[in-house]
Amino acid sequence: MRKKVILAVAALLAASTAIPAWAAASGQVVGLRRLSEQEYRNSIADIFGKDITVQGMFEPQVRMGGLVATSTAVLSVTPTGFESFSKMADAIAIQVTDQKHRAKLVSCTPKSPKEPDDACASEFFSRYGLLLFRRPLTDTELKARVTLARTMTKASGDFYTGLRYGLAELVQSPNFLFRKELGVPAGKVFTLEPYSRASRLSFLMWDTTPDKELLDAAQTGELNSAAGLEKQISRLIASPRLDSGMRAFFSDMLELDTFDNVSKDALIYPKWGGAMAPSAREETLRTTVNLALHDNGDMRDLMTTRKTFINRSMAAIYDVDFTFDSEWMPYEFPKDSGRSGVVTQVSMLSMFSHPGQSSPTKRGVALMDIFLCEPTPTPPANVDFSAINDTSGPLKTVRQRLLAHATTPTCASCHTHSDPIGLSLEGFDTIGQRRLTENGQPIDLTATIKGKTFKDGAGLGQFLHDDPKYPACMARKLYAYGTGLNSEDVETSSFKTAYKTFVDSGYRMRALIKGLAESPEFFNTPAPVSADASNGQTKLALH
Amino acid sequence: MTLHRRTLLRGLFQGSAAVMGVPFLDCFLDSKGQALAATGQRLPTRFSTFFYGLGLTTQLWVPKKTGLDYDTTSQLQPLEPFKKKMNVFSGMRVMVDDNPNFQHWSGNAAIVTGIAPTKASQFDSKTIDQTIADVISRGSRFKTVAAAASGDPKHCYSSLGGANTLPAEPTPLALYTRLFGPGFQDPSKADWKPDPQVMLQQSVLSAVADERKDFMKNLGGTDKDRMDQYFTSVREAEVQIAAELQRPEVVAKVAIPASPGDMVVNYALPNVRQVTPLMAKLGALAMATDQTRVFNLAISEPGSNIYVPGDPLGYHITTHMEAIDQTLGYQPRVAKYNVYSMELLAATLKELDSIPEGDGTLLDHSLVMAYSDQSYAKIHAVDGIPIMLAGNANGRMKTGYHIAGGGAPVSRVGLTVQKIMGLGVDGWGKGSMETKSAYPELLA
Amino acid sequence: MTLRQLLLGSTVAGCALAMLAEPAAAAPWKRGFVVREYGFAFRYGGRPESAETDPASDCARGSSVHFADEAEMRKTLEKQPWRSKQEIDYIVKPPEIDKARLPTYVRFYVWGRAASYRGWRKGIETYVNPFAAPDPGQPEVTGRIGDGLNLDGKIKATDFIGPDGERGIDNALYRAWGCDAPFRNPASGTLDLRENTQMQEGLYTVVIRISGNKDPMNDDDATVEIGYSPDKIVRDARANVAPDYSYRIVKSEQYTKLKAKIVNGVVETEQVDEVHVPRIGWFPDQMGDADFHKGKLKLKIAADGRSAAGVVGGYRNWLDLLSENTFAQTGAEQGIRDHEDAVSLYYALKRNADGMPDLKTGRNTAISMAYRIQAVPAHVVDPATPAQVRRPVEDEKRRKGFEMVKSAMLKAVSTRTVQEVPLGTGEGQFPAMERTIADLPSRDFFLKTLDAPGKLDENGKVITPKPQAEPQRQVKNDATTAVASAEDDDQ
Repeated sequence: MRKKVILAVAALLAASTAIPAWAAASGQVVGLRRLSEQEYRNSIADIFGKDITVQGMFEPQVRMGGLVATSTAVLSVTPTGFESFSKMADAIAIQVTDQKHRAKLVSCTPKSPKEPDDACASEFFSRYGLLLFRRPLTDTELKARVTLARTMTKASGDFYTGLRYGLAELVQSPNFLFRKELGVPAGKVFTLEPYSRASRLSFLMWDTTPDKELLDAAQTGELNSAAGLEKQISRLIASPRLDSGMRAFFSDMLELDTFDNVSKDALIYPKWGGAMAPSAREETLRTTVNLALHDNGDMRDLMTTRKTFINRSMAAIYDVDFTFDSEWMPYEFPKDSGRSGVVTQVSMLSMFSHPGQSSPTKRGVALMDIFLCEPTPTPPANVDFSAINDTSGPLKTVRQRLLAHATTPTCASCHTHSDPIGLSLEGFDTIGQRRLTENGQPIDLTATIKGKTFKDGAGLGQFLHDDPKYPACMARKLYAYGTGLNSEDVETSSFKTAYKTFVDSGYRMRALIKGLAESPEFFNTPAPVSADASNGQTKLALH
Repeated sequence: MTLHRRTLLRGLFQGSAAVMGVPFLDCFLDSKGQALAATGQRLPTRFSTFFYGLGLTTQLWVPKKTGLDYDTTSQLQPLEPFKKKMNVFSGMRVMVDDNPNFQHWSGNAAIVTGIAPTKASQFDSKTIDQTIADVISRGSRFKTVAAAASGDPKHCYSSLGGANTLPAEPTPLALYTRLFGPGFQDPSKADWKPDPQVMLQQSVLSAVADERKDFMKNLGGTDKDRMDQYFTSVREAEVQIAAELQRPEVVAKVAIPASPGDMVVNYALPNVRQVTPLMAKLGALAMATDQTRVFNLAISEPGSNIYVPGDPLGYHITTHMEAIDQTLGYQPRVAKYNVYSMELLAATLKELDSIPEGDGTLLDHSLVMAYSDQSYAKIHAVDGIPIMLAGNANGRMKTGYHIAGGGAPVSRVGLTVQKIMGLGVDGWGKGSMETKSAYPELLA
Repeated sequence: MTLRQLLLGSTVAGCALAMLAEPAAAAPWKRGFVVREYGFAFRYGGRPESAETDPASDCARGSSVHFADEAEMRKTLEKQPWRSKQEIDYIVKPPEIDKARLPTYVRFYVWGRAASYRGWRKGIETYVNPFAAPDPGQPEVTGRIGDGLNLDGKIKATDFIGPDGERGIDNALYRAWGCDAPFRNPASGTLDLRENTQMQEGLYTVVIRISGNKDPMNDDDATVEIGYSPDKIVRDARANVAPDYSYRIVKSEQYTKLKAKIVNGVVETEQVDEVHVPRIGWFPDQMGDADFHKGKLKLKIAADGRSAAGVVGGYRNWLDLLSENTFAQTGAEQGIRDHEDAVSLYYALKRNADGMPDLKTGRNTAISMAYRIQAVPAHVVDPATPAQVRRPVEDEKRRKGFEMVKSAMLKAVSTRTVQEVPLGTGEGQFPAMERTIADLPSRDFFLKTLDAPGKLDENGKVITPKPQAEPQRQVKNDATTAVASAEDDDQ
C-alpha cells in the first residue's frame, strides 16, 4: 500500500506547477460543494471566535443516497438564500470590525482611523482571505478587496467601515460559500491539489474549515507527501475535535434531521412533547460517538450495546430512574428490556413511524437503507392503505394487518425485503416505549430475513451485528460523505482499502477514518470529462 | 386620472366636518404603477400589535377543528368578516422555568420577547415590534408609534428591554398631534435622500458579481449551471438594492385632517368603543403615509380595568369574583367582557382594511398580532393564551388557519411572525421557550 | 426492574396482566408518585348542575357570600355601632364614583378598607385583631359525609363518615371552612383552582415514595416518604401532569418518612406526633411547612399502579391556618374578591378546634383537618448531590411582610391587646385606597372618616405616600400620567 502511494505522490510532484492550481488553467474542478449550515457556523467560529453571533436562515438541505452531505455537491444558492447570506455576512463583518472586537481581530492599526490605509487593509484581507477562501488570495484578488475597502473608507470617512464592507464581500463570496475542489494531473488520474486536500480532511474530521497548521501543511507541500499527509491525518484524528466531525457524520448517516418533521398525535401520545426530539437525537449521537471515539470500540456493537446516555426526558420515555447528577447520565438497559443498540433507541423508533401508531414498514425501510445500504423503491401510486389502518376488524395488531396485505405479489417483493426488521421492533410503540400487547393481544416479535429468523430488538441487533453488509455500508457512507458522491453510485472498489483497514482493526472507527483518508481513492479521481460537454451531464465520471 | 380625485370622509371626529384625503391614491399608483412594476417593488409590509387584557374563555373561543375551515366559535364571531385573513393559535404554553409566574405579566411579556421575565413589569429583552422595526422602519419618520385606548400612557408593551416602555399616546388628540401635527413629513417632498448605507451595500454586491468570471473558469456541466444560479441570485439582490435607492413608493397626497376634539378617554366601555377605532384609524393613516411602519395599540393594561357603566365590579374584579355557572361551565359576565375585546379587535382590523392601497388594502399589506396576558384570568393561568395574527403581510403569510399548539411554547408564534416579516432569524426565545421551529404552513 | 414490575408498569392493558400476576415472592419494591392535585380535603356535596354557591348536601345554606353585593356589604357595616348612616351609604355607594378614573377599584378598596375596620370601637383593624369584631357568622358544613382520617381513634357524634363508610373521621376544619366560597368545590372554588393551577404550572412540586419488601399491593412492612422536589412538574401535550418523569425528593423541613401497612392497595401509615409536609399555596412566599400534629397518610393505589388518591391529615395549629389564609394577600383582598370573611373564619376555627389543648388554658390550639392528594406515577429518587428547593429572591419582600402581619395577629390574639397594622405590608388596603381615590371628588370624606393603618402627621392630615417614580421615557412625551395605579397590588 505504502509503495503505491509513494509512486502516486512522485507522479504528483512531477506534475505540480509553480502557479497555484486555482489560478492556473491546468487545474480541473473535480468537486464543488456548498457549505452546510454547521460548516458555515463552525468556520466563522474558528476564524473569528465563538462570540461572533451568526443569525440567519439557511437554505434547506436534501438527502441523496442517504446523506445530506451529498446534496452539497448538487445544490446551489437561491435568491432568498443569497439574500440571507448577504445579510449574515454583513452582520458578521460589523461585529468583527466593531470597537469591541477590532483590538483582537484586526492585527494592524491604520495611520488614521478616518483615511484609507492600504498596507493595513492588505494585511487584513490577506489574512482573512486565506482563512475564508481556504487558500491564499491571488494578487489580483487581494488588490480588488483593498481597492473596495479604500472606496468604502472614502465614502464613509472611516477606515474600519472600509474593512467591514470588504470583509462582508469575502463572506458572501462564492469562494467562501462553495468548496471548490481542484485536481491536478497525476499520471492516469487527477489528484486533489494540497489546499483542496486540506479542506477535504478538515471538513471530514472536524466539520470545519482547515486550521492554520493544516493550511501551512498545504502551502509547504507537506500534504503532497505520504509522510506529511499521515502526520496531519494523525493529528486530526488524535484531537478531541474529531468528536465534532463524527457527530456531524453520524447525524447525517443516521438521518437525525428527520426529527425536524416528526410530530406525534397529542391525544394518543401526550407524553411526546417539545423536549423529546432533541433529547432523543442527542442520546443517539452520544451513544454512537462514545462507542466510536471514547471507548474506541467495535462499531458492530452499535447494534447490540445496551449502554446509552439519557436525560430526564428520555428517562421518562424509557420509564427508568434519572439521577440528576448532570444533564446526561450513562445508563445500561437490563438484559430483559429488549433494547439492543441504536435500532431500539427512541430516535430510530420514533423518527420512522406514524404520529399515532408504529410502522414496521417505515422502520424497516429506514434501517435497511441506513445500516445496510439497501434502499427500498417507493410504493406504487395506487396502493389502498385502509385495510392496514383499520383496528376495528379481526386483525388486531399492526403486524397481522401488514402480513395480510403483503401477500399480494406486487407488494410482497418490497415488503418481504423491508418489513421483517420493522416487525421485530413492534415491541416498541411509536414514541419508543416498550409494549408487549397491542389492543389487548400479545405481539408476535419474530421475523425472518433471507432464511434467518430472529426475535425482538435483541434478535434484530444481533442479526445486524453479524451481517457484513453493515460495516461495509458504514465504510461506503463515510466515503460518500467525505467526497460528496452519492453513496448509491459509489463502486465498492473505491472504498475497498478503507473497508479492509476497518475490518482488520476489529471495526474501530478511527481505523476506518484513517484508512479512508490515507487511501489513494480519497484524493484521486479519474480525469474529468471536458468542460464543454454539450449534453451537460455531470462532468465528473463517477467511480 | 388626475390628482383631483379625492374621497371625502365627513363627520369623522365628533361631528365636525373634517375633510380627509384618501392617502395612497390609485391615480398616483397608476402613474407610478409602471415604475413599480419595473422595479418589482412591493409596498412595505407593516406590523401592528393589538393588546387586550384578561384573555378569553377557553370553552367559548377555541374552535373544535384545526387547520383551515375551522368552526367560528361564539367568541370569535365578531372577527368573522376577517376570518379568511387571520390565523388563530390555541394551546400555546408559557414556560417560566425558574422564574416566578408574575400575574398579569409573565404571559404577555413572554409572547413579545420569547423570554419569561425575571422581574414583574419588565421585559428581559427588546420586544418583537422593536426587533421588527429595526429592520423595516428604516426611512419612515417614526420607528414605532404606540397608543392606549383607555388613556394611560403606561399601557404600552413596546420596549427596548427592562422597565422602560415607549410612552403610549393616551388620547386621539395626542396621537393626532404626534402624527399629523408639527413635524408631519409629507412623503412627496422633494428633498428625500436615499439611505447612504444602501449605496455602500450596492458596491459590495457589485464586487461579488465581479468574481463571476474567475470563479466560473474550469467549471463544466451541472457545476456551471449551479454557479449560474448563484450569480443570478446575486444579480437579483443588486436589483432589489437599486430599487431601495429610489424614492419610496409610498407617495401619498394627504389633506391634513382637522384635529379631533377633546373627549373623555377612560375605562368606561362606551368611551373605549369610541376611542379605539379612532386611534386605529389614525394609526392606519400613519402607516399608509409612512409616518411609521410599526403601530402598537393597547385597549387596556393586562388586568383590564374596563367596565360597563353600572357594573360596580368591572372586568378585572369580575374575573375573580364571578361564580362559575355550573350548567354553562364558565363565568357568563366575564364571557361578555371577553367578546367586547374581540369586537374592539374587529373594529381595529376594519380600519386597516378600509384603506385601499394598490391592489388591496393596508390590512393586506400588514401583519397584526393580537394577544393577551392570561388564558384563564380567574386563576391567572398562562396555558393557552389566545394569540391571533391578521393580514396577509403582502402575501407572505398564509391565512385561515386554527393552529392547536398542544403545549408548544408561545415563542413559536413570535418566530413565525419574524420570519414572515422578512427578518433573518433561525431561532428565538430563551430557556424552555427557546425554539427554532416556526409554523411552516403559514409561511408563503 | 423485574419483569413483573415491568408488566405492572406497562401502559397498555397492564391491569390484565396485573390480575394474572401471582402473589410475589418477597422482593424489595418501590413506587414513586408526583402530586397533581393538592388542596383542602373538603368534600363537595352538590350535583353537577347546581350553581356554584347553591345549598347542597354539604352546605345547607350554600357557600359564604360575605361582601358579595351591596346588601351584604351593608349588613356587615351595620354591625359597627359607631358608623353613621351616611358613612355606611357612602361606603356602599361612593358618591360621584363615575368621575374617578378607576371606579371599580375605588369601590373595591373603599369596601376593603371599611371591612378591615369592624371593631367594637373605631380604629381597630380586625384582620390583625379578629377578636375585636363580633362574629359575622360562617355557614358551616351540615353534611355527614367527609374525607379525612380518624385521628383520635374515637367515633364521636361530631365526626364525619368517610365516603367508603368509615366512621369517626376527624376533619373539623371541613365543618368550619367547608362552605367558604373560594374553597368549595374543586372544580370552581377560586383559591382551590388557583393553587392547583399554580402548582401544575411549576410553583412547587410534591412527591411521594412508597417502598417495601413484599408486595406493592399487600405489605405489612412498607415505608411512605413525602416531601418537596426541586424539579419542576412536567406537563404533557394535553396539559396534564405527565407520568414517569424522575423527581428528586429533598429532605428539607417538609420531608416526612413513615412506616405503613398496605392492604389491597390501600396504604395507611402509622400515626406520629409531627408530620411535616409541603403547604398549599399560590404565591411563592407561601411555600413552607404544613405541620400536622398526630399526623398520618392514607392513599389508595389503583390496581394498575397508574394513579394514587388519598389524604394526609392531622391537627394543625389553627392560628397558623388563619394567618396563612388571611394574609396570603391582605385580609380585605380575599374578603371582598372571594366572598370570604377572615373574621368569621376565625370564630369558626375557635368554635371547631378539637385538638392539642393548651396546657395552661385547656383551650384547643389545633383543629383536625386533611389535605387531599391525587398523584400520577413518577420516579422519585434521592439527589446525588445535596439539593434545595429554590426560593425566589423576588418574593422575599412578600414573605417578610407576611411574617410581620402574622406575628402582629398572633400577639393580638394571644394577649387580647389591640395591635397596630405593620406598615409596608399592604394590610388594611393601605396605601392602596388612598392612591386609588386620589381623583374621586368625594375623597376627602373617606380620608377623614375611614380609619387607616398609616399615622397622622401633626396637621391631622393623612400622610400621603411617596409619589411613584416616573417610569423612564425613551422619548419625551407631553401627556401626563393622571392616574393612581392599582397595578402594584396582586389580584
